[in-house]
Amino acid sequence: MGDKLSKLATRLRGEPSSSGRAQLIPVGGGKGGVGKSFIVANLAASLARMGHRVVAVDGDLEGANLHTCVGISRPRASLADFVAQREEDLGKLVLDTPIPNLQLIAATDGNLATPQPKQSRRVRLMRELRELDAEFVFLDLGAGTHAAVMDYFMIGDDGVIVIMPEPTSVENAYGFVRAAFYRRLRLAMASHDMREIVTIAMDQRNERGIRTPLELLHEIQTLDPSEGARFVETMRAFRPRIVINGVRTAEDIKLGFSIQSVCRKYFGIEAEYLGYVNHDELVRRSIRARRPLIDVYPRSDAAIYISRIARKLLADAEAGQPHEGSV
Amino acid sequence: MKPLSDQNHYEILETHPTATKDEIERAYRLALATYSDDSLAGYSIFSKGDAAALRERIEAAYRVLSDSRMRREYDATLEVDREEDLPPAKPSAPLIPVEPAGAEGSLPSQAPAFAHIDDGVGEFDGERLRHFRIRCGMEIEDIARVTKIGPTYLRFIEEERFADLPDPVYVRGFVTAYANCVGLEGKDVAASYMKRFENDHRERRRGRFFESR
Repeated sequence: MGDKLSKLATRLRGEPSSSGRAQLIPVGGGKGGVGKSFIVANLAASLARMGHRVVAVDGDLEGANLHTCVGISRPRASLADFVAQREEDLGKLVLDTPIPNLQLIAATDGNLATPQPKQSRRVRLMRELRELDAEFVFLDLGAGTHAAVMDYFMIGDDGVIVIMPEPTSVENAYGFVRAAFYRRLRLAMASHDMREIVTIAMDQRNERGIRTPLELLHEIQTLDPSEGARFVETMRAFRPRIVINGVRTAEDIKLGFSIQSVCRKYFGIEAEYLGYVNHDELVRRSIRARRPLIDVYPRSDAAIYISRIARKLLADAEAGQPHEGSV
Repeated sequence: MKPLSDQNHYEILETHPTATKDEIERAYRLALATYSDDSLAGYSIFSKGDAAALRERIEAAYRVLSDSRMRREYDATLEVDREEDLPPAKPSAPLIPVEPAGAEGSLPSQAPAFAHIDDGVGEFDGERLRHFRIRCGMEIEDIARVTKIGPTYLRFIEEERFADLPDPVYVRGFVTAYANCVGLEGKDVAASYMKRFENDHRERRRGRFFESR
């Protein structure tokens, strides 16, 4: 009983419990090259500098590079060892980085024949991630929207989506939200028939003529009100958080608000605009130096914007839910 | 979530009934930029026709809300609507049930704020199991394949259709297997779930007893 009370008190104070349950933050975006790994490395380094224990996990088994962003050139252990069942304890794959409080799980040396874990292994991985001894665990996802990426993104209701102010990135980001949205929805539907309808709607040229999530909701509500209620509830819980990277103009900054509006009007979901990072030559230099910007150029504009986002993540974690409102 | 056709002027501009003139102005400018034909945020989602229809709604909303007299009159119609409305809908339960507060409520109740950080400990009901399944990206059929439990029973477990489930000894096994399969501590989850199941089981048995008399 005393143990239960102390656990509850710890959670109320917003501290990690003794069992080390970490706050998981998956970071995706659909498109490659938008700066996901850069953002993960720097948000993680930023929180670490504030004194929080952070593990950054490279979830991109087919294009690992997070290790480089945090200053490790040749990781001696990798998530691939867990995938290949050479190592059962994920905690043993955690590597120290040059930055105090920041650790890494790399994803190098994957098996080219079967890079992705089987589903049962994936479930095990998610469980192990929750058990890591840290306050924050970032999970840097690969590009694209295939099932493995989307499953990792769903380990939290409020994963981060990194977007560049460019048509290709914005389009892929919507594709990413759409994939996460429908996948989540299909899993939430209890009846086989409704799941079938969601599957049909996932084909954007479907013969039922369901074009938008709202039309799908209408269809499901008409056919089965209790499934309709589940639909609404699923959408309410899904609150992705947006970061705009590589901002050059005031228009670029506003893009985050516009995307928030489109998410509301088209998908019916509340996205949070977490913040933006400006285009900064020092970013490129920090990547070439293979160290987080926060570490090499802590006074640069981009580093300041990243710290601002990190503080917001912290506030979200303390409040327990994403904040709405302005950047 | 209301379809666009049912949204009022404030909802269309994504602002609130107590918004200042400035806030209305800002909301209008953002909406116009977002739904212009060449908007980076909108072009790949809305067709030209849809965007034009939206802009029309935005203009109409702004015409009313930017004029103090028209806005007052409009607000009055909203009040009437509100009074005529049925009692406000109960907010639906959060996807992740919040653990009940400590012991006899001696501690402040755990803020729902913690709801989204579900760490897999505490009380479990069918809904929370389902939530974990979704997080694992598994369908009922996937769980059935791994656990060899029929999908119908798994569905009944999630929906807490206790009356349709077999005897407690079987259900405990089912829940344990289900929970293990989605990365939870099967034994703890089953213990918690079975409390709910057995309460219901007892109630039903009592019901039958009275019926038979």
